[in-house]
Formats: sequence, structure tokens, C-alpha cells
Amino acid sequence: MKSRDVFSYSFSAIRLRKLRAGLTTLGVVIGIAAIVALLSITQGLQDTITRQLQTGFATDTLIVSTGGGFGAGIGGRTGADSGFRLLINYTQMINGLSPNITTSIAIIQRVGFIKSGNITRVATIVGVDFAEYSDIYSSTFVNETGNIPLIPTNETVVVGKLVSNPWKNGTLFCNVNDDVEIKWINATVIPAKNETYTGHVAAVLKEIGGFGVGPSDSSVYIPISKAESFFGTDECNMIIVKLKNDDKATINSASKAIKDAFSNEVSVTSATAVLNILSSVFSVIELFLAGIAAISLLVAGIGIMNIMIVSLMERTREIGILKALGMKSRTVLMVFLGESTIIGLMGAAIGIGSGWVLANVVAIVFHGGGVFFGNQAMGTGGISITPVLTPTVLLGALVFGVGVSVVFALYPAWRASKLKPVEALRYE
Amino acid sequence: MTAIVEALNLKKTYMLGKVPVEALRGVNLKVESGDFLAVLGPSGSGKSTLLNLIGALDKPTEGKLLIEGVDVSTLNDNQLAGLRRRVGFVFQFFNLIPRFTARENVELSMSIADIDRAERRKQAEDLLETVGLKERMNHKPAELSGGEQQRVAIARALANTPRFLLMDEPTGNIDSKTANEIMGLIKRLNEEKGVTIIMVTHDQRLATQAKRAVQMFDGVITREIVN
Repeated sequence: MKSRDVFSYSFSAIRLRKLRAGLTTLGVVIGIAAIVALLSITQGLQDTITRQLQTGFATDTLIVSTGGGFGAGIGGRTGADSGFRLLINYTQMINGLSPNITTSIAIIQRVGFIKSGNITRVATIVGVDFAEYSDIYSSTFVNETGNIPLIPTNETVVVGKLVSNPWKNGTLFCNVNDDVEIKWINATVIPAKNETYTGHVAAVLKEIGGFGVGPSDSSVYIPISKAESFFGTDECNMIIVKLKNDDKATINSASKAIKDAFSNEVSVTSATAVLNILSSVFSVIELFLAGIAAISLLVAGIGIMNIMIVSLMERTREIGILKALGMKSRTVLMVFLGESTIIGLMGAAIGIGSGWVLANVVAIVFHGGGVFFGNQAMGTGGISITPVLTPTVLLGALVFGVGVSVVFALYPAWRASKLKPVEALRYE
Repeated sequence: MTAIVEALNLKKTYMLGKVPVEALRGVNLKVESGDFLAVLGPSGSGKSTLLNLIGALDKPTEGKLLIEGVDVSTLNDNQLAGLRRRVGFVFQFFNLIPRFTARENVELSMSIADIDRAERRKQAEDLLETVGLKERMNHKPAELSGGEQQRVAIARALANTPRFLLMDEPTGNIDSKTANEIMGLIKRLNEEKGVTIIMVTHDQRLATQAKRAVQMFDGVITREIVN
């Protein structure tokens, strides 16, 4: 029997039992839709976060911090049991460590408050050298309104978009040329002391949307010299080192030079390394989610097996007729596998479409509801996730859907093929 | 004349639970090309078992069954399927596929034999015309009378130009008037087209219409009658 005739015969059997075939297909649809939706959302989230990180980090930079690496660098000093302190003026020494290092800047940051009018908001106060910071983050530390002075005065303040416009309803918290009060609770003295000064907003940054160690929408930038006196420290949270390029060799040699210079008292993290870690974390998450979704597909597979066994019992006589007409056992097997292939194909195709729609609906709902990083209190702004359906996921879902259907139909199909014609014809 | 079917001391034993049942106890039979043989016998005499063995639907327990000189017991599954494609089977209960039309039912046996769609469609129409059912070829079995269904079954059995037709009580499930028409058709196929026919029946009257008949009882042939 020709393959086309086998499929045609299988299809006619499916058409005869539309409701049953429909319900069986629904199992595959749900499984595939779950896989596609979860994977495309995860992939979209990964892409978004990677993009945001690439915006936040510059790939040709290294982050030098004390103790536990990148996390410690952001949060402040941890694990520096040896008493090592990362000082602001280490930048000069770092600059001379390797020809691959172009420049380096120190960053001091504290969680503080910014007051405009009668409203006080929490903000991250970041002390940087405006000129060098603009040079390293030339695409993100960019003014939308006002001007970022390369030689700022002590009162100069540059605010992120979300600081200026936190409510996004037309009312601004502060704007260029406004005087704002910068406040920090100094807990290093007992009793804790409120430190305040009045700054002058020179510029509002363009919306960045990213997160990481680079410029952020929710930060308030003040000159490094002012930060030193305001926070009363000569110690920085991290030093950003700009390299000549982002080649792996350049990153490795510069990292080694810095670590050696500080006798391994510092952590040196590259943006590329962070992205790689993130990528592996997402791979594990994807695998985990796909595994959960695959369980529903396995349940669908058992449903297919169940239906096929019922179908086999109902059609025993028909199989007897086919064999009496000269159909080979192998062809009977193909007829049954053909039915499951059609169910798998239809289920996978509809499942992929449904999963894609579901992923987009979820992305819209999540973005609208501010679930993923959309929490204003976190000060990161809303990140829109665009679900990504890669050809691998598409093809994988199709193959998996059909594969599960075929695998679970193997046993009933094999039983059908092994029926003896004379016994099958006698079956009532 | 060439022997198409030759049974030599053919035996078949079934197991009914743990009890062996001897359905055939040593049948010797020879059917030649162009023959029309009726196998007569009461229920349980072994005539249907004999027919199933000749149609390669089952294998003998003992003895030899030669179809066109080939010993059936030496054939594997695929070869048996190939043999069945060269045999036309007509069943008492028609055994048509309910979801297919008359034409599709006839086409089915040709599609199993790898015949192209256009060719099998034409042949199916010709065969249905031969059995006088061309006008009803697009009807499904449920829309056809018993006699019409049996005509479709005969047309299906004639597809692939079989070496012989095996008929198991072909008129057993239809009224006497239609049964006469079907018998007329079967005789015409034998006389005019030279189709070799082996027909199982319990009806003495129908057996007289065959060229010769054998009487079976308790798994053996007890008598041979030449009409």
C-alpha cells in the first residue's frame, strides 16, 4: 500500500470519530501549547534581560569590587574580612596596570532620599566622575533635558528618568533647574545622623530601561568629589575599568593583572561573564519549565494510547478484513501509527499556535500588571517581554508532539499488526 | 487441467481453552482452474476452517496445502499477505468497511495491492458494473440492501484479478430472491469469465448449482458429488 493511501486510510478513520479524535488531539494541544508558551516567554525574558544587561553593562568593562564579586560590588562591601578597602584613588594605579586598560572610575553609591517640594522619594545616590562616566556609558548616560556638565559644581545633580517622572502621568517629581534636597542617613555614627544638602538638577537622563552596574533610571548622580565629602568616605563600592576592546584575551589579561595587583583581595567581574552565567541559569530554567510542560504531554500520550487501544478493540474486525484483503502486518502498523501521527501533527500545529497566543497574552498581562520588574517601588521601571519563538522551539515542539503521539501509539499499533486475520474476523 | 488448490491430509486443531478441538481431521481435496466447487456440510463440520486455510487466513496444524504448487505452511507473514491478495474472499456478513462507499470498498483491495488511484477507480467502476451496481457505487453499505452489499463484496473480491474466489455462505444472510440473483451472478462469473470458485454452503439446493460438491462431516470429506 502506498504511503499516501496509508495516510488517507488513517485520516478516514480519524474523521469517523471526530469528537474522540478532537479530544485526543486536545491533550497534545495543551501539552505543546504549555511548552511553547513557557519556552517562548522564558526566551523572551532572557533576551530582554540580556539586552537590558548589555545596556547596563558595557561589554568592554570590568567591575572591580571587594569580597564576593558582582553582587558584593553592587550591594557594598561583604566578606572583606581581611580589612581590605577599595579606595577611590586606586583608579590611578589600575590605569597603569595593563596596556589593555584605557581608564577606570570609582563609584560610590548609597541608598538615600531625594526631596522635591514636599515629596521625598527613595533613590540610589551615585557619586561618579561625570566626564569619564559619560565616556564609558556613552549610549546611556545621556541627557534628555538639560546638560550633563563635564566639570560639575558640588551642587550639580543629574537624575534618572524615573526619578524625574516616577508616576508617568504628566506630573514631574523634579525637572531641570529644580533645587532638590539630597538626604542620606549616616548609620556609621551613633546615633545615626541625617546628612542633607541642596543640589541643583542640571540634567535628566534619557530613559534607559536597563539594570546592572551602569546608569539607571532610578538613580541620582552627584559628582564623585561631593560624594566623598557627603558620605564621609574615601572608599568606593566599585571601580569600573574600561578596556581597549571586549576580546576574551583582553578581558582575561586585564582581570589577572588587577587581581594580582590587589593580591586577590578584589573580585573582577566582566559583563561577558555575567551574561554567560545568566545564559546558563536561563538554560536550566528553560529545561525545568519544559520538563513540567512535557509532563502534560506525557499525560496526553497516555490518552492517545488509551484511545488507540479502544479503537483497536472496536476495529478488530476491520483489521481482519484488511488482512484478508492482503494487507501486510507492517501496513496495519503504519495505518495506526499514521493515525497517531496525524493527531500529533494537528495537536502540535494547533498547540504551537495556541502557545504563541498564550505567551503573548501572558506577556501583555504581566507587563500591564508590572509583575516582572515592573514594580515601581523597586525603581526599575517596567520591562516589556516580547515572547520569542525560535525555530528550535518550533521544530522541537512539532517533533516532540508527533514523537509522543507515535511512541504512545506503538504498543496498540503493534498489537493491531499482530492480530491473526481469522481471529480478527471472528471478533464481535 | 492445473490444480490451483491441493489439500493433502489437511488437519487443523484449535485449542478451546485447554481442550483441543479437531476442526479438520485429514482433508484431501483438489481444485482445478475454472472449477466451481461447493463445500457442503452442517454447522461445525469444518467447512469454514477449510476455506480459511485455503484463503491463507490461517495455517494448517498438519498436512500439506498447496496453492498453485506452493506449500502454504512454508510461507512467512508477508508471503501469506501476498497470497491473500491473489485470492478473492466473499464473506457471509459481507465485511465491507462501513465508512467507505461501494466504490471505495472495491478500491480498497486494489490500493492494498499498490494500484494507482486512477487505475483502481476505473477498475472499481467496471467491476461494480459487472455486478450490476454501478448506479449505487457512491452509497455506503448502510444505504445498500443485503444483496447489494454482497454484490459489492463480490466486486471487491474480483479486484486484483484473483486466481480463485472463496465464498463463505455468500447467500446466507440475504433473502431467497436476492440469493438466486447472487447465485446467477456467481455462475456467470464461473461460466463466462472462467473464474475458479470454491463456495461453502449448508444449503443442498445451492450446492447443486456448482459444477461439483463435496460433503463434509466432522472435519473430513465424506462424499463427492459431480452435478
